[in-house]
Amino acid sequence: MRISPELIGIAIAAAILIWIVAGFNALVALRTRVQNAWAEIDVQLKRRHDLIPNLVEAVRGYMQHERSTLEAVAQARTQAMAAARGGIEQRSTAESVLTGALGNLFAVAENYPQLRAVESVMLLQEQLTSTENRIAYARQFYNDEVMKYNTAQSTFPRNLFARPFGFSPAAMFTAADSERANVQVRV
Amino acid sequence: MSESTHPATLEQRFVPRDRQSFFDAQRRNRRATWRLSVLCLLAVVIMGIPLALIVTPFLYAVSLLVADIVNLFFPLSPAFWQQASEVARFGFVALHWLLNHQPAAPRALAIGAAVMLLPGAVLSILLWLGMNGLFKHAGVGGALLALKAREPNPGDLKELQLNDVIQEMAIAAGLPAPRVMLIDAAGANAAAIGTSPADARIVVSRRLLDDLSRDEMEGALAHLIGSIGNGDLRIAFRVTSIFETCGLLVAVINSPFGSQSRRTLWRIIRYGIGGSRKGDSTQEAAAVAEILARGVGMDTDDIDRMFDTTRKKSILRSIRDFLLFPIFFTNTAIKLSLWFFSGAILGPSVALLWRTRKYLADASAVQLTRNPDGLASALQKLSADANFIPAGNWASHLFIINPSTSDGGSSARPDQRQQEILAQAWAASAQTEDAGSAARTRPADFAATVREFSAVQRAAFSGDAKAIARLDAARQALSALDPALAAQIPNVADLAAARQGDRAAIGRLRGLRQQEAGDRKPQNGPDESGMSSITFLAFHPPVKRRLKRLDRMGAHADLGAADHKLWIVAAVFSLIFAPFFVALVALFLLLIAIMILSSLTFLLIWMAFIHEIFGFFAHH
Repeated sequence: MRISPELIGIAIAAAILIWIVAGFNALVALRTRVQNAWAEIDVQLKRRHDLIPNLVEAVRGYMQHERSTLEAVAQARTQAMAAARGGIEQRSTAESVLTGALGNLFAVAENYPQLRAVESVMLLQEQLTSTENRIAYARQFYNDEVMKYNTAQSTFPRNLFARPFGFSPAAMFTAADSERANVQVRV
Repeated sequence: MSESTHPATLEQRFVPRDRQSFFDAQRRNRRATWRLSVLCLLAVVIMGIPLALIVTPFLYAVSLLVADIVNLFFPLSPAFWQQASEVARFGFVALHWLLNHQPAAPRALAIGAAVMLLPGAVLSILLWLGMNGLFKHAGVGGALLALKAREPNPGDLKELQLNDVIQEMAIAAGLPAPRVMLIDAAGANAAAIGTSPADARIVVSRRLLDDLSRDEMEGALAHLIGSIGNGDLRIAFRVTSIFETCGLLVAVINSPFGSQSRRTLWRIIRYGIGGSRKGDSTQEAAAVAEILARGVGMDTDDIDRMFDTTRKKSILRSIRDFLLFPIFFTNTAIKLSLWFFSGAILGPSVALLWRTRKYLADASAVQLTRNPDGLASALQKLSADANFIPAGNWASHLFIINPSTSDGGSSARPDQRQQEILAQAWAASAQTEDAGSAARTRPADFAATVREFSAVQRAAFSGDAKAIARLDAARQALSALDPALAAQIPNVADLAAARQGDRAAIGRLRGLRQQEAGDRKPQNGPDESGMSSITFLAFHPPVKRRLKRLDRMGAHADLGAADHKLWIVAAVFSLIFAPFFVALVALFLLLIAIMILSSLTFLLIWMAFIHEIFGFFAHH
C-alpha cells in the first residue's frame, strides 16, 4: 500500500491534536492540585481561628498584665476572619499580622514559668504551634504547586495554548512586608 | 535546631554549602531507580533460567505419572502419547545441542528451549501472582500485632506532638496522613509499613519520641512519609513477594520429604481458601510470609531426616527411598541455585535498588522540611542509640535506620557477674531512698532493672531532682562494689552542668556515649531472619554516606575525616582475593550445573522406569 500525502497530513494533525489534549489535561491536573493545596491552607487557617479563643481564655488568668498582647491577638484574629472572603493578597497580609501577634504572645508567655506547669495550656500551645507549622507547610506545598503550574504554562509547547484556553498564572502565598519587618535581630 | 549537638563554627554555619538541591538529588535517585530496576529484572531472569530448568522436568515427571495412572483406568488415545513423545524429542534436541554441540535447526532449537523452560517459568510467575494476591488483602494487621503496636494516647504531650508532626509532614507532601501506631520497645526507631500508600501505617517506638527533638522528629517522619509518597511500599511488597515465591517453590519441592514444609504448604492453602475471613487471618498471613522468606536458606532438616541412615531399614522404606531418590537431586539443585543466585545476584541488586530508595526518601524529607539538619541529626542520634525493635526483623528494610540486633535498653550487654553487681547496686540505691521500693527489684531480674534504670535516667536528663538523687545513690553504691563499672554511669554533676550549657560537661558525656557505642559494636551480628539475611549487602545505606549526601543538600553534620588508608587496604585485599573469589563463583556455577544435569538424568531414568512399569500393567 502506498502512503498518500493526505494520510500523512491526517496523521500529523491527529498527533498535534493528541499533543494539545495531553498538554491541556496536564494543565487541568496541575490547576486542580493548586486549588487543592489552596483549600488545605484554608482548612488550616480556619483551624487556627478556632483554636485562638481557647488559648486566650486558658492563659488570661495567668497573664493579667499582658492585656494589650492578648487583645492584639484577638483583634488580629477578627481581622483575619473578615479577610477570609477577600483575595489571596488581602488574606496573606491579614494572616501574617495574626502570625506576628501570636508569636508575640508566645514570646511573652516565656516570662510566665507557671504556665509550663499547666498541662491544658501546654497541650493547647502544642496544637497552636502545630497549626502554625501546618500553615507554613501547606503554604510551602501550595507555592511548590503554583511554581510547577506556572512553569508548565510558560514553557514552550503549552505556552501556545495556555492563555487561549483560559489558564492564567496563579499567585504565590508570599510573606507580607509586615511579617518581614518583624524579623529584627537585636544584638 | 540542634545547636547543642553540632557545635559548628560560625563560618561553617553561614558559608553556603548548598552544592546540590534536593530536587536534583531526587531526580538523580529516580534515574538510579530505573537503572537498578532493570538490573533486578535481569537478575530475576538469570535466576529464573536454572530454576525453570529444574522445575520443568519435575513438572513433566509429575504429569507423566498422572497420565500413566489415568491411562491405567481409562486408556488414553495413541495420539496423546504420540504428541508427548514429540514434545520430549524437542527437549532432547536442545539438550544435545547444549551438551554435545550437535548442530540443530534454529526452529527446533527454539521450540526445544521453550519446552525446557516455559512450563517452569509460567509456574513460577503464576505462583508469584498468587502470592501477591494472597498477601495483598491480608494488609498490615498481622504485622502490627506482631510488633505489639498500640494507638497513641492523645492526652500525652509527646504522643500528641507525634501525631501533629505526622499531620504536618503529610500536608507538606500533599498526601492523606497515614495512621500512626506506637511500640513500647526499648530501641528508638520508626518504620512505614503497608502494601501501598492507601493502607500505609507509620510505626514509631516510644523511645524515639523521648530521644529526639521536634526538629529531628520532623526529619525522621518526613523521611518515612516521603518514602510512602514515592511508592516505596509497593516496591518493597513486590520484592518481598519474589523471595516468598522462592520459599514457596522450595516448600513445594520439599513437600514429599518433610512434614515441616507440608505443614507450611497446608497453612498457605488453608489461608488462601479462608483468607477472606477476618480475625486471625491477618496474623496467619504474616506468620506464613515470614516462614516463606526464611525458606530460601540452606536448611535441609526434612531431607536429612528422610535419608537418615541410623533409622532402621525396612523394605517399604527402601522402596520409598528408591522411588523418591531423583527428587532428592531436584531438591538439592533447586536449593543450591536459589541460595547462590539470590545471594550473589538478586540480593545485591535488590539491596542497591533499596538503597537508592532510601537516599530518595532522604532527599524527599529535605524537600518536605526544608531543614536537612533535622534529619541529619536524627540519623546520627538514632545510629548511636539502641535501635533494635523486637519482632521487627522481617521488616528491617522498612525502618528508617537498620535495627541492629544489639540488646536494646542497656548499652553494652554486661556479663553475668556485672549484671549481678549492677542489679545489687541499683537495689541498694533504692534502699537508701526508701525501704518500700527496694522489694521491687530483685537482683535476678536484670531486664526489669535495666528498664527501670533507663526510665530514671531519662527523667534525670529532663531535670527531675528525685531521679538525679537516685542516680547519684546508685553510682555511689556501684563504686563501692566495682569502680570500673561505676565509671560508665554518667556523673550527676555533669548532667546538671550540661543542662546549664557547660561545654566540658557535654564533652565528657559525649565521650561516655561514644565509648558505650564502641563497646556495643562487636555485638551487632548480622540479622538472622528476614529479607536482609538473604544477601551479604545491607539494605540500608551506611549512615555516614547518608549524612554526606545530606551535607551536600545543606546539612551541617560533622562527618569526621575520611579514611583513605582503609580504602587502600581494602583495594589491595580485593586485588589479592579477586582471583580466589572468581574461582569460587566458577566452582559454584559448575556445582549447580552438575546438580541440574544429575537431577535431569535421574528424573529421565525414573520417568522411563515408571512409564515401563505402568506400560507393563496396562498391557495385562
